[in-house]
Amino acid sequence: MSKPSNNLTWTKPKGAPFTPKVVARPQRDLEVQSYLPAITKGLAQTMSAFFKNTKEMVLGQKKDPVLEGMSWGINTISYPEEKRPYPERFRGLHRLTIRDDGSARCVACLCCSTACPAQCIHIEAAEYPEGDKRHGYERFPKVFVIDELRCIFCGFCVEACPVDAIRMDTGKHPVPYDSREQFIYGRDLMMSFTGRQGERETENARHEPGDVTHPGLDREHAH
Amino acid sequence: MILEIVLAMAKIVLVIGFCLNFSAIAVWADRRQSAMIQHRVGPNRAVIYLPSIVIAGVLAAPGFLIGAAAALGLGMAPRPEAALDRMGLSLQLLVFFAWFNLVVLSWRVHRNGALNAFETAVGRNLPRVYFYGGMAAHVVVILFTMALNRQFQSGGFSNRAVFMSSQLVAGLFGAFLAASGVYAAMRLPKGKIGIRLAGTLHGIADAVKMMFKEDFVPPNADKLLHALGPIIAMFPVLVVMAVTPFGDALCFADVNKNAVFEWRELLHPMPLMARDGICEGHSVRMQIADLNVGILYLFAIASTGIIGAAIAGWASDNKFSLLGGLRAASQMISYEVAMGLSVMGLLLIFSTLRLGKMVDWQNDNAWGIFVQPLAFCMFLAAAMAETKRVPFDQPEGESEIVAGYFLEYSGFKFGMFMAGEYVEVLTSSALIVTLFFGGYTLPFLFSDGLHVSIGDTLLFDYRMNHVAVTVIQVLTFFSKVLFFAWFQIFFRWTLPRFRYDQLMKFGWTKLLPLAIVNLVITAIGVVAIDNAGPGFHNVLKVLGQLSHLVVAVCIFALPVGLVWLMLQPTSNSTFIKSSATRFAAAAGGVKPTEMQA
Repeated sequence: MSKPSNNLTWTKPKGAPFTPKVVARPQRDLEVQSYLPAITKGLAQTMSAFFKNTKEMVLGQKKDPVLEGMSWGINTISYPEEKRPYPERFRGLHRLTIRDDGSARCVACLCCSTACPAQCIHIEAAEYPEGDKRHGYERFPKVFVIDELRCIFCGFCVEACPVDAIRMDTGKHPVPYDSREQFIYGRDLMMSFTGRQGERETENARHEPGDVTHPGLDREHAH
Repeated sequence: MILEIVLAMAKIVLVIGFCLNFSAIAVWADRRQSAMIQHRVGPNRAVIYLPSIVIAGVLAAPGFLIGAAAALGLGMAPRPEAALDRMGLSLQLLVFFAWFNLVVLSWRVHRNGALNAFETAVGRNLPRVYFYGGMAAHVVVILFTMALNRQFQSGGFSNRAVFMSSQLVAGLFGAFLAASGVYAAMRLPKGKIGIRLAGTLHGIADAVKMMFKEDFVPPNADKLLHALGPIIAMFPVLVVMAVTPFGDALCFADVNKNAVFEWRELLHPMPLMARDGICEGHSVRMQIADLNVGILYLFAIASTGIIGAAIAGWASDNKFSLLGGLRAASQMISYEVAMGLSVMGLLLIFSTLRLGKMVDWQNDNAWGIFVQPLAFCMFLAAAMAETKRVPFDQPEGESEIVAGYFLEYSGFKFGMFMAGEYVEVLTSSALIVTLFFGGYTLPFLFSDGLHVSIGDTLLFDYRMNHVAVTVIQVLTFFSKVLFFAWFQIFFRWTLPRFRYDQLMKFGWTKLLPLAIVNLVITAIGVVAIDNAGPGFHNVLKVLGQLSHLVVAVCIFALPVGLVWLMLQPTSNSTFIKSSATRFAAAAGGVKPTEMQA
């Protein structure tokens, strides 16, 4: 263990005389007292910023507020004309995927409404009519509403869905309305929403009953 | 008699209209400056939606109107010289609109892509190429017009040929304007189009808002004085413009030689004037009232503006308001003294109180700023203190006394205070322009045209129409006023507010003694120059002409500097840090999109 040496400069050695640091008084000569050089300098600074930014606005050279947000100049995002893109896995408004024939992919199993911690999903299941291929095989949602004001955008409904019928990949947030009723999104509205690339079909390819690719049991091949 | 009254009313309407409209524009300019300095977008949200058919009409109509007027021979000049002038003007305008349209079109093509083969051809060159070409074309047109003038004066053309070609060129200009207007109209997207006018609509939105807001009067306030305050604050700042000349006299010929100004003589402005500008017929001064005590009237009226602020502070039944009113009164009285004394030197030199005469002196000799530079600095400081704006806005210092004397004002009464403040900026810059920057004059521009001469050698000589000279002078005056208003507003975003004791110390112990010293030195100088020999006077004359030359060079340097600025490349650097930025980069940046919902 070495002893601290005596030539440390950041502490006053014991017994050494106290030497105060001398700070020069501010110069109050004519240059400072007349204000003029400082005013000129200040005006030059503000004006250079003004002209540069004005020129970039007028010529449409305003830089990208996200990509070039750290550089010198105007960084305002002019919402809603310009929008900051949401991250890829952003959970936005719900959409209901559709089948090839345009009907809802949902089979009204109520998994999502059961999983929903905010209890904002309401589904009324219905049977396909007599004679339909899917009659007795699966059901469809007669009513499928989500109260977007109650929704906490946790994504549990998406996780719970066994058939990839509900997704939150629209990349949109709920838009403002002037009454609560307008925030209750119906089945047809949510079926009209698309993903970011405009896709509406389910990615979980569907093998309808009766298709040769259909692997399991169905009404005709039961037991 | 009725004619004189009507003309006076017209001048009053012009000046008041200028002040009120441009006070709204000044509010916008104020906000815009702050935004641009602090790297914000600033006011641009106020919007009026117009159907695209209306905008198409606005774009296409002027060309058709000008073309039709040329075809019908309206504005047919009575004299061949005027026809030549009109031809030169039409050619210049044609060149201007040609390069301007090409620049805009090329820029659009570079941004959004070409719609057809013509646009592809235009887009092959950068916008700046068209700009350079346009400048060269302007110079060629000037040389061409001067050659034509020389040829005409030596009897090269018949009058008929001059009239016909002038008509033809005007028609060509109208046709070009119509064609480009129709093309621009065709390019418009269908449906409604939002008009923002760079955010100037915010002034209108503000005014409408203020008119419809509640007019709150504190319960224990003095109702009468509370209502009177804003009126007294607004009135004097408008009235001081009465003595400010905004142009030289417009001279009309005395057609029926009876020395009575009649209505139909308004159609006969003097074609050409003598260089000294003495009017043989009926003279209409571009000034509402030519008082012999001009500048004294101005100071007397302007200083009554204090009463408005003081009364407002007193009547509001609020201690902060009262403090603000007292601060306003003491500050303005202090600076009134310095302001008056700082222009005393100028009055000695001009040896007149009439503002019109002062402008004439500056045109003949040198601008006030070259004669009294120190007085200019002091006058600028004092004038800014008079307008109660930053850095002299202690009367409303919001960090100390909330909002000062207009704390208890709302709605349109507050609007009047605010408009009054901005009108005051305009009037004080009108005063600065008149006293120090040659008023409505431009260097070397006389009543009969441009004469550039140094000493006794004439360098450049160009005779101009009397009406054209007057129009240029009026435009010059208002542009100078706007420039200095802009400049004064700029101080607000540069300088912090003084402390109140610093303000008083600055006024009484710096400005006032300096003004007195300046006055004494000027007095000695004036006596010395009066007693100097003619050789010294000649030297002074040449120095004055050199100062005019400096100003002229500066005026030409302005557009060059503007172009230099426009051509500066942008230097942006990309920082990809967050996942959101990565995603934005993948999406091609934050792009303007259609509005949703």
